[in-house]
Amino acid sequence: MKIKKVMRLIISTTAILGMLTGCSSNPEEGIKEGASATSETKSASAESTKEGAAPLTGVTIEFLYNLNGETTSDAILKACEDFTYETGIEVEAIMPGSNFSDTMKTRMAANQLPDIWTTHGWAVARYSEYLEPLNDQEFAASINPEIKDLVTGEDGNIYAAPLDMDLVGITYNGDLLTEAGVNVDELKTWEDFDAACKKVSDLGKTPIHIGGKDNFTIGNIFNDIAPTLYTNDNEANQKALLDGSFDWSQWDKAAGMLDAWNQKGYINPDCLTADYMTSIKAMAKGDVAFSFYGASGIAEVYAINANANIGFMPLPAKDNDSKQTLLVGEHFAAGVWKDSEHKKEAMQLLNYLMREDVCTELASVCAMPSGVSYVTSDTGKLAEYYAKYSEEGIQTVPYFDRAYLPSGMWNDLCTTGALILSGDSEGVQKATEQMESSYKEKMAQAN
Amino acid sequence: MVKSSKKNNIPKYILSIFIITLHFMPIYILLTVSFKSPKDLSSRWVFPGYLYLKNFQTALGRSNFGQALINTAIIAVIAVVGIAFLGAITAYPLARNKSRFNKFIKGFIMGVMMVPPLSILVPLYSMLAKMNGISTYWGIIIVLITFQLPTSIYLYSNFISAIPVGLEEAASIDGCGPFKTFLYIIMPQLKPVTASVAIITGINCWNNYQFALYLLQSPKMRTVTLAISGFFSQDSSNVNGAAAAALLGISPVIVLFLLLQKYFIQGTIDSALK
Amino acid sequence: MKKKNFYINLFYIPAIILFIVFVAYPLIYGVRISFTNWNGYSQKMNYVGLKNYLRIFTDENVLIALRNTLIYGICSTLIQNVLGLAYAIFLNSKFKGRSIVRTIIYLPVMIAPLIMGYIMYFFVQYDGGAINDILHALHKAPVDLMSNGTVAVCIMTIINSIQFVGTAMIIYLAGLQNISVMYYEAAEIDGASKWQQFKNITLPLIVPALASSTVINLIGGLKLFDIIMALTSGGPGYSSHSLSTLITNQYFSAQNAGYASTIGLFTFALIMIISNLVSSYFDKKEVYM
Repeated sequence: MKIKKVMRLIISTTAILGMLTGCSSNPEEGIKEGASATSETKSASAESTKEGAAPLTGVTIEFLYNLNGETTSDAILKACEDFTYETGIEVEAIMPGSNFSDTMKTRMAANQLPDIWTTHGWAVARYSEYLEPLNDQEFAASINPEIKDLVTGEDGNIYAAPLDMDLVGITYNGDLLTEAGVNVDELKTWEDFDAACKKVSDLGKTPIHIGGKDNFTIGNIFNDIAPTLYTNDNEANQKALLDGSFDWSQWDKAAGMLDAWNQKGYINPDCLTADYMTSIKAMAKGDVAFSFYGASGIAEVYAINANANIGFMPLPAKDNDSKQTLLVGEHFAAGVWKDSEHKKEAMQLLNYLMREDVCTELASVCAMPSGVSYVTSDTGKLAEYYAKYSEEGIQTVPYFDRAYLPSGMWNDLCTTGALILSGDSEGVQKATEQMESSYKEKMAQAN
Repeated sequence: MVKSSKKNNIPKYILSIFIITLHFMPIYILLTVSFKSPKDLSSRWVFPGYLYLKNFQTALGRSNFGQALINTAIIAVIAVVGIAFLGAITAYPLARNKSRFNKFIKGFIMGVMMVPPLSILVPLYSMLAKMNGISTYWGIIIVLITFQLPTSIYLYSNFISAIPVGLEEAASIDGCGPFKTFLYIIMPQLKPVTASVAIITGINCWNNYQFALYLLQSPKMRTVTLAISGFFSQDSSNVNGAAAAALLGISPVIVLFLLLQKYFIQGTIDSALK
Repeated sequence: MKKKNFYINLFYIPAIILFIVFVAYPLIYGVRISFTNWNGYSQKMNYVGLKNYLRIFTDENVLIALRNTLIYGICSTLIQNVLGLAYAIFLNSKFKGRSIVRTIIYLPVMIAPLIMGYIMYFFVQYDGGAINDILHALHKAPVDLMSNGTVAVCIMTIINSIQFVGTAMIIYLAGLQNISVMYYEAAEIDGASKWQQFKNITLPLIVPALASSTVINLIGGLKLFDIIMALTSGGPGYSSHSLSTLITNQYFSAQNAGYASTIGLFTFALIMIISNLVSSYFDKKEVYM
């Protein structure tokens, strides 16, 4: 008897709790309230009752995306809803959060992919095996040249449709730099950058902030440094990296640069344990001069402190003979699974997302330059920087690991960076060795 | 030892306060953070002088928390029923028929407890995907049942071993088949250990993270632990909202524990000392 | 009886089918990929023979993870048993309100380890963490606790121990309550000191409790995963990885699924061997009693 009572109690308690919380969550308010964590799929069946809606086809396609941020996420969900309204094809839009790439790897291994997904920089290197070529689609001819190469495989096939593109430099706090007497436009080389750090440091502020608890933030830095040292204007190195003959003993220059900043105390003391948000907050408060996050990081800073004076500068060059550069990469780019049961419908959604009005809306929400020539997006506070660097003709180069390293070495960039930041006296040497051995192993894996 | 009860108890209370402080600290900090406005930069030890409920509103609204609670309850309850029934029925022959082969079977079952879930994730995922079991209740339930079953079998077989066989023999003379014997003679005697099984495996199912993370992809199917980890693992600027979500997520089990303490504690003892 | 006994064996067939389908088959598949250099997602994989198995013995990171796994397992077991027994003895003495103390100690067992990890980040965070707030109040310099791998491993061991000490305490409480008061009364008449009573009566009679508590905590500690993922993800570098988290790292981040599979099998074997050794040691001990 007792057991029955207990079970009844358990069931009724959980049911009541479920109902209570279920009632008090007002979905409309909730979604406006929240920030970026998780997304909801909105039931499209309610839509279909609206006047003018296309009748439901009974097909539901799955769309996995990894764009954080409340407004972005809401805009994507809205676009999916409108698509359902127009076509009667339902879309289940899912944002798996920080486990996006692990989820995708599991699903690739099982060969059970979503019908359409965002490729976050890996359209070619990781996903091309599973993606439908998009060469024949209408938008293909209009993809901006800077980004076109990045979504085109060696076979000449275009694998993802870029709605926008990420142009990355070094984020800075303009007010703090002014206070330190640094003119950002004069930071042409890493030497200049170093001198600027010294001035900020003398003010008692932190020159560089790294939130290394999640070590992707550390890997980012190598992606910024490495092209300027090795691959910009050096075709021999580019070739060597791709064919496996790269001389890794020179990696000590990149590793050494990070080590030197750390030794000189330019980096925040909790660089290994602070999280990403700590960096953002410190930048918003004006305690930090530079950080290595892209445009989405700047948007987060503005979300905390709308009055902050934040901008981004091109990456310094290795010496006066070289030019400054900006990194360019995929941001919101999507591709279609080649074996999808609903390939036709997925392609329809992709084309809908690339339609002028929809693409303009989405690229503007992301505040990034558009990926296709027929769309001009509103980049908000960063517009002046994009305009300026485009006018100055700053060269854009691809992300180092995506373009030149075998897939899987991102992990090595992150962990060797953490090793150096931990202050290991042989950190630079160990990092160099690990990069070399991992590189050889991955090259073997690829063949 | 018992005699000391009449002596001065003050040192005991001092020690008690120290112990309570130590073990309640995590929950205390969770409380202060979840009731604080995100703009409040005071120390985490300081309890806010105001009641800021917006965090809870955020937590409830943003990740469809109510749905997550219902999902978790459905999954945990069905899984526990399955775990208890299959555990009992499997334990019966293992307890009654201690042949060498059955010892081997028992060893194999115990080995399952030691498999690190991640080392089998990909084949498990592929298999479930082929059976259309991803993002379904039955998919996660069957996996949870499989991985909690060893605990259940272990508890039941220890318990059944201690039940005298006389009744069963009488029943079989009366012409009862083995299944009927199990149903009418053994099952009614298993009530106390069933409570233990339900509670121990129930907590594990409720708190499961690793399987849910990969096997439940659709946001409609999200469980409480996934919803909470969603708040924390994102580059979310709202730590306070995340804390509120965590508080909401652990409340049902804590309330349940406070209501049913006796059974929880008996469950732990049964699992260890039988 | 013989015939019936054979028939009742049929009862475990459903469970065995579940285990074969959802555990044994995936494990065998894991053995297969442990001989490849599969990257974890491609449809292509190459066989590399025993390379992954040889690599385990020369890989410094596996060595670190193995050391950490043993620390997580053994130190958690030690702390939980010593503290759990102390709590049990304390709460076995009568005083008002002891059930409240017991409840509070047991409460954290209910919390998912992952969530406990997130909560503990509120403590160990450098900037605004609860521990540094105390140091600040004492005018001491803040410490960055998790930046040193060894310290991080110790802290996470302590967190795990404190969270689950309730289980050990309850087991010991039950064990203590099974000991007849008569033994202590007799010992007191013989003039034995409290320590002698503990050593000669309590300890020997509590071996069954000790055995189960040890095995449960050991498996829990050796499989520790969620807390590490929430607090350090194995970092800085590789310094706080356990074998379980290293599997994730190698599988997903480093894209060495074949190697990750090998580490998985190694971990499985390790946990199996250690827990079997420990439980058979206690089985022998109990026979002597």
